[in-house]
Amino acid sequence: MSELLGTLKRRVSGFISLFKRSLALRVGVALLLLLIFLAIFQPIIDQYRLEGHEATDLGYFEKFLPPSLKHPLGTDQFGRDVLGLHLTGLKFSLIVGALAGSVATLISVCTAIIAGYRGGKIDSILNGVTNSILVIPSLPILMVVAFYTRLDLVSMCLTLAAFSWPWSTRVIRAQVLSLKERTYVDLAKVSGENHFEIMFAEILPNLIPYIIVGLGFSVIGAIFAETGLRIIGLGPTTVVSLGLLIQQALQYGLLTQKRYAEIMSLVLLLMSIFISINLINKGMDEAFNPRLKKVTGE
Amino acid sequence: MESESMSVLEVQNLKIYYESVWGSYKAIDGASFKAYRNEVFSIAGESGCGKSTLVDGILRLVKPPGYIPEGRVIFEGTDLLGIPEDELRRIRWVKIAYVPQGAMSSLNPVIRVEEQMTDAMIDHGSMNKEEARELAISMLKEVGLPVEVARMYPHELSGGMKQRVIIATAIALKPILIITDEPTTALDVIVQKGILELLGSLKEKYGMTVIVVSHDMAAHAQIADRIAIMYAGKVVEIGSIHDIFEEPLHPYTKGLISAIPAMGKKSIKGIPGLAPSPLDWPQGCRFHPRCPYARDICSEVEPSMKEVSPGRHLACHP
Amino acid sequence: MPSPHEEEIKSNLVYQNLTVSVIITLISSFITKSKHMVRIPGFAGYILKKVLIYIVTFFLAFTVMFWALRLIPGDPWSRFVDNLRVLQVDPRISREFIEEYKRKFGLDKDVYTQFALYISNVFLRFDLGLSIASYPTPAQVVIMRYLPWSIGLLGICALISWSIGIVLGAFIGWKHHKKLSSAIFTIALGMSQIPYFIMAILLIMILAYGLGLFPGRWAFAPGTTPGLSLDFILSVIRHGFLPALSIMITSFLSWLVSTRALTMTILGEDYLLFAEAKGLKKIRMLNRYVLRNMILPQATGLAISLGFMVNGAYVVEWIFQYPGVGTLLVHSFLWLDYNLAQGIILMTMFSVLTANLIMDFFYPLIDPRVRTEGK
Repeated sequence: MSELLGTLKRRVSGFISLFKRSLALRVGVALLLLLIFLAIFQPIIDQYRLEGHEATDLGYFEKFLPPSLKHPLGTDQFGRDVLGLHLTGLKFSLIVGALAGSVATLISVCTAIIAGYRGGKIDSILNGVTNSILVIPSLPILMVVAFYTRLDLVSMCLTLAAFSWPWSTRVIRAQVLSLKERTYVDLAKVSGENHFEIMFAEILPNLIPYIIVGLGFSVIGAIFAETGLRIIGLGPTTVVSLGLLIQQALQYGLLTQKRYAEIMSLVLLLMSIFISINLINKGMDEAFNPRLKKVTGE
Repeated sequence: MESESMSVLEVQNLKIYYESVWGSYKAIDGASFKAYRNEVFSIAGESGCGKSTLVDGILRLVKPPGYIPEGRVIFEGTDLLGIPEDELRRIRWVKIAYVPQGAMSSLNPVIRVEEQMTDAMIDHGSMNKEEARELAISMLKEVGLPVEVARMYPHELSGGMKQRVIIATAIALKPILIITDEPTTALDVIVQKGILELLGSLKEKYGMTVIVVSHDMAAHAQIADRIAIMYAGKVVEIGSIHDIFEEPLHPYTKGLISAIPAMGKKSIKGIPGLAPSPLDWPQGCRFHPRCPYARDICSEVEPSMKEVSPGRHLACHP
Repeated sequence: MPSPHEEEIKSNLVYQNLTVSVIITLISSFITKSKHMVRIPGFAGYILKKVLIYIVTFFLAFTVMFWALRLIPGDPWSRFVDNLRVLQVDPRISREFIEEYKRKFGLDKDVYTQFALYISNVFLRFDLGLSIASYPTPAQVVIMRYLPWSIGLLGICALISWSIGIVLGAFIGWKHHKKLSSAIFTIALGMSQIPYFIMAILLIMILAYGLGLFPGRWAFAPGTTPGLSLDFILSVIRHGFLPALSIMITSFLSWLVSTRALTMTILGEDYLLFAEAKGLKKIRMLNRYVLRNMILPQATGLAISLGFMVNGAYVVEWIFQYPGVGTLLVHSFLWLDYNLAQGIILMTMFSVLTANLIMDFFYPLIDPRVRTEGK
């Protein structure tokens, strides 16, 4: 038991030292935490600012109000406070990303570990399946699924996950293959751990950096796929994601009305999610592969 | 055998350091030796003692984060570390050739063998494509490879064949000096013998100076004339091959010699302890933590290289 | 009374059996192939293996697609039929009408038969079925009107962004120590993953509505007659500029980034060190040692990237209402034209896989290592 605590302590302090090593990681995590904070507290913020109304409710405020202290981004054609609306969008986009991304990563990690570790027939089959899914253009099928079923948040996320898991599987599987050759796996075999234990207790901890990076990409991929779906007009209208808001912007002609600030706000919110995750990924890379000084310029 | 002839290569107090987040790796920390015309000069030491880095330094192939803070590499009177890039390029291969460790990966996988052999010949301006090709083919014969190899791609060749191709490329322009790094590692014993004989013959046939860098003492015993022993980034002993093997003076050398398995030897003795880290060389004589003859002075003062008898250099407190 | 359908159904059943048995043979031979490791040496073996994988992958993807669509609750036909019902005045007439439609589109048979029929139609007669919306035009005719625009757009974007991207990327990698290279790289890295549609929106905002330089919709100006006239061609270029740019910017940047990384890895390889030790001229090293090795994975990468570019490209098409299959796909949903949607998905998969296969054919030309596989 104390051994476990010892390992835990080591891992945690090792984890914290990562932050010291990379500026990108610090900035990325900070930004992401800020966004998540905004998303979590969005309902409370709205309660406070909007006199108890939902940001998405129609018609509580005057239409087309210019930006002011009460409405920092003004109001739209439905009399909704734009800032509250956008924050709601942020919240839903993050939820979609998190949910779809985690499911996808879960599937891909399991698949990759099993395929990479067991090898042989299982590997070939799983590989074949992975490659087939990669080849199928995911968006059209997503569109079909979205259109013909009344999707809700969860089913949409699951469908998004179903198409994005093969991507990280390849990377993780390659890593599993190289780890398999290392001596401590043989040690574990000799000491009598069975396959499952080896897979999840020995190999998994070393995959964590790759898993996190894979998670990052899955989340981004899911958010963008969802946004792509939205622009076409599909997807549940109850899930007010940034994508939906962008689609509404296009539909209601915000471009022609030259209401660029609103569009830019949406785009910037979306971009900041993606930039923060990218920074984290880059930071993870820097932290786990510390550069030697006087390097070649990387 | 050392003679009064001018040295072909003289390395003076060469230092090669690597900067890292954890400090300076002092891979080579003041190595000095001389190599003469028409001899096979060996550099020996444990794996990881920096022999390959030394070669990189001599050829000025050290890449960042490595750098050379101090030292001179004098080749035919000129310090290689000081001359401009294009002058160096013109000296390379024509005067100094290099057979790297791991010939397996030193060949470009997507171009044919003959192109890789002739491109250096052409780029050094001495001949056209046809002449280069003929020279390449004659060199292949020289190292005992069939002519068909020329049109092949590297992946079609075995390890030993690739090694020979590289040697063939190296001797083509009749350089004065050839430096080979671990020429026999990763090859099976029979192929090893052939390669070593080939290298040894270069001296007789072409009057080349061959520097062989290896951890394999048996290989050195087979072809070397003189040998330098390296430890912890420095050269600790130099002498003729007979002297070193019959009468090793430095404690480390003694340990190395006694660790060689040989017919008739009853026991092998290893050298106790672990090799020290280049981040933190031991104080004083670097070998003192593992030395059976260590005295107080050994942990305080670093011994310098002295010529204890003609042609015999030693860095050890008497 | 046997309807004229019976004959059709009978011959279809023959097709059905034939197709199913061919497929079973293919799959079993694939499985046994991996068991026996029957190796045909050299180039022929390589190609055969690739073609086999192509067929099996296509079939697998096709099957997944078909069944995924069928297993969704909320069968489209009932929606279509409900729609019709709404439009019909007389419920009796509508029932017959609906039955007829069902028969026409093979909906009166069970799913397995439908699958078999579809396979046989597609593979043996290249018949994607009838487009519901444009009835009686067959789906493939409709698709063929739009497909050239998509292939043109995507093809040009992919080729241009790839070629410029890898050359510049190699150069930046080669000179990675220069400050300019690092700067370019950082910017590229940051922008390389902006999705096409965001780029499209930004471009429309700035260039179309903001500066009025380029049109924000369509492929050519309404009113211009298609043909080989200069007017038309100029109009096409002008209209295609923004959609193409949306795709090309991100694509080019991502090739830049990946090629730079690849180049830097290659620079660290032993054979580059050896080349330098040989005292080769820089130009030769860059050309025969760096570029020649860099292009291999990047060429494969190009083929693979097509599958992903398609996704983004379809959304971009829709934003610009560009008359490619992307826009057609969205419309096919709005018109509840199931066959058309299915057909477009099929064509997309087919095009992507075929592009990959073509790349597989050309790959041995540049990589000598695969030429002797299996020997």
